[in-house]
Parts: sequence; structure tokens; C-alpha cells
Amino acid sequence: MYALLALAAGVAIGLFVHPTVPDWLGPYLPIAVVAALDAVFGGLRAKLDDIFDAKVFVISFVANVLVAAFIVFLGDQLGVGAQLSTAVVVVLGIRIFGNAAAIRRHIFKA
Amino acid sequence: MRPVGDHGPSGPVQQQPTVRRNPVPSLLESLGRDHLDPGYAEAARRKANGGAAAPGPGSSRAWSVAAVAAALVVVGVLFGVSASSAEENAPRAEKTRSALLEDIDRAEQQESVLATSIADLAEQLRATQSALGVAGPLETVAALELAGQITPVTGPGLRIVLDEAPKDDENASTSGVILDRDIQLLVNDLWAAGAEGIAIGGVRVQPRSAIRQAGGSILVDNRPVFWPLTIEAVGDPSGMQVKLIGSAGYGRFSTFAQLYGIEFDVSAQETLNLPGGTGADLLFASAPPTS
Repeated sequence: MYALLALAAGVAIGLFVHPTVPDWLGPYLPIAVVAALDAVFGGLRAKLDDIFDAKVFVISFVANVLVAAFIVFLGDQLGVGAQLSTAVVVVLGIRIFGNAAAIRRHIFKA
Repeated sequence: MRPVGDHGPSGPVQQQPTVRRNPVPSLLESLGRDHLDPGYAEAARRKANGGAAAPGPGSSRAWSVAAVAAALVVVGVLFGVSASSAEENAPRAEKTRSALLEDIDRAEQQESVLATSIADLAEQLRATQSALGVAGPLETVAALELAGQITPVTGPGLRIVLDEAPKDDENASTSGVILDRDIQLLVNDLWAAGAEGIAIGGVRVQPRSAIRQAGGSILVDNRPVFWPLTIEAVGDPSGMQVKLIGSAGYGRFSTFAQLYGIEFDVSAQETLNLPGGTGADLLFASAPPTS
């Protein structure tokens, strides 16, 4: 419950405070969003599986975002930024889909 | 995962334990199977083994609630910021595009205004010169300018309207396209048929004019002209028409009209008003010094 509230509060802050995104951060924002989505779905699934652990959640979220951003940064420096972003999005996207399917099975038993 | 050729424990008896050559599942396989971070399972196992959670700041309930809430606030801010920035960016790109289009429009308008003012000023200049009575050489100049297709002319002639085939057919977009070389051929045939001045889409064709293609549009003298294209040629309408009908360009376009359905209309006109050309810009050539 408090998790949902925190998420909603964060979205509200992001929408209403309207911080300007610095230009150098631009390419990493979508990747960070995908990584955050992956962490959120993973956490939700773990919660439903009754194996949720706060430390794992927080650390995996932070590490995923940082690693994803770093991979994209490295790709930008090497000139393969677009391809590496695609790789990150594909890997995280598969995981998001898998976790969403597990959550769906939990909720709808189907 | 068992490597190919590994007989496993049920195979022939071996002394050493079965060697697993590929203990880690391949990356793609694990991608398809392990959607959840393995850390969760490990933490759960640790908890189950140790009974109470390991000591440390992560163990107390308040700490974990605060950490998860903070992380989720960060996630939410991330979502919100990216949503608002995505919202901002889409109209910005659209705005830039339309601003550029407006700039192009404005520049084109300015160009045509300037071109008219050039023609006006040249007219004034000629009028003033003839009023001053320097007629002899100036008449030569005027005749040369007329021959060089610089001065506006009016007179009877032919009007040809060209348009590409309608695009809504199933046939590919390339089949109904009129190319620059077709128009070049037609214009050359018009000159050969006795045209004294030609304008394409309101742009006067000069001795050094080029009819070129850039993408889907036709450039006459580096100025874009638009479909449907009107070619106006001043000359003897009936004589020109007779000669034109026997020419290769006319034959090509009438074939196009029959085969591909392009628009190709030739009509005689009582009066055609052709604009003046802009004259040639000489960059390197100059008149030899008269001694």
C-alpha cells in the first residue's frame, strides 16, 4: 500500500514540479525508465511470490538503472549507442514481459 | 543443460563424476526463463535458513519500508519527468518543422517580390533611358535583352498543361512520374517549333536555364515549380501546334497520356503574358576593354 502511495507521489512530483532535464541526461532517461519498470515489475512479482526483500529491490533498482545508463553511455562513446540501447531495451523488455505474465497468473489465475 | 555427446549418469560407467561442460545456462535461455531477479530467491532462502533475518540496518521493518518508499518515489519521479519531457518534446519537433516551413515560404515570397521589383526597376530604367534620348545603342540593348529572354513578353501562343498520373492507383508511384528529361525534350521541341519565349510554371526559360529534377519536384532555373505544370510558349499558335504534333516530345507525352493516364493538354491561347527572366549572373566573364 505504502509502495503504491510512494509511486503515486513520485509521479505527481515529476509531473508537477516539471524539472528541466539537462541535455546530457536526455538519452539515458528512457533507458532509466525501462530499467525502473523492470525493477517495479520484479518487485511486484516477488511480493506476490512472498519472497519480496527490500534490500534486493532497492539495490537491484539502483544497479539496473546505473548499469543500463552506463552501457548506453559506453555505447555512445564507441559510436554504437543506438544498438546498445536496443540491446538493453530488449533484455529488460523480455524480463518485464515475463514478470508481467507471472503477475497476471497470480492475479487472474490464468 | 547437457552438452551433445554427454551420456550422463545412465551412460557407460565412468570413474570420475560427470563433467558438466556448460554449467551456466546460455544467456538467451536464461533470458527466457529467469525473469525475476535471482536475488529475491536467494534472499528468501537466506531468510528461511537463518530464521530471523541477518542483522543490519536492512533488517528492521521501518528501514526497509523507508528504503522501498524512497526507491519508489525515485521511480515515480523518473516516470513523471520522462512523461512530461516526452509531452514537451513532441510538439517541439512539430513546431520546429512548421517554423522551418514558414521560413521557406517567407523566403520564397521575398524572392518573388524581389524578382518583380527587378523587372519593375529594369522597366523604369529603360523608360528613363529612352526618355533621355540615348536611343541608338539602348535599342540594341533592348533587342538583345528581348532575345536573351530577359524582358517580359506578351503575345499569342500555346499553353500546355502537364500533370502526373493520379496516385491512388495500385500501380507503383514510379510509373506515373514525369521526369525532367521528358520536359526538356518537350521544351526543346517547342523551341524547334518556333516558340519565341517559353515559361514553365511562371518561370521564364532563358538560354542558360536548366530543367532539373530534385526528388519529386522539377526545378526550372533552380526554382521549384509545382504540378500541374503549365508550359506557355509565345509564337504562332497554329504553326507551332502543327510542328509540335509531329515532334518526338509530343509523341512521347501523348503516349504517356494513353498508357499511364498523365494529364497532357495543349491549347492555343490568344494572349499569353510571360514574365521576364532574371538574367545571367556573370561571375568571371566581363566585357573586353575597349581601346
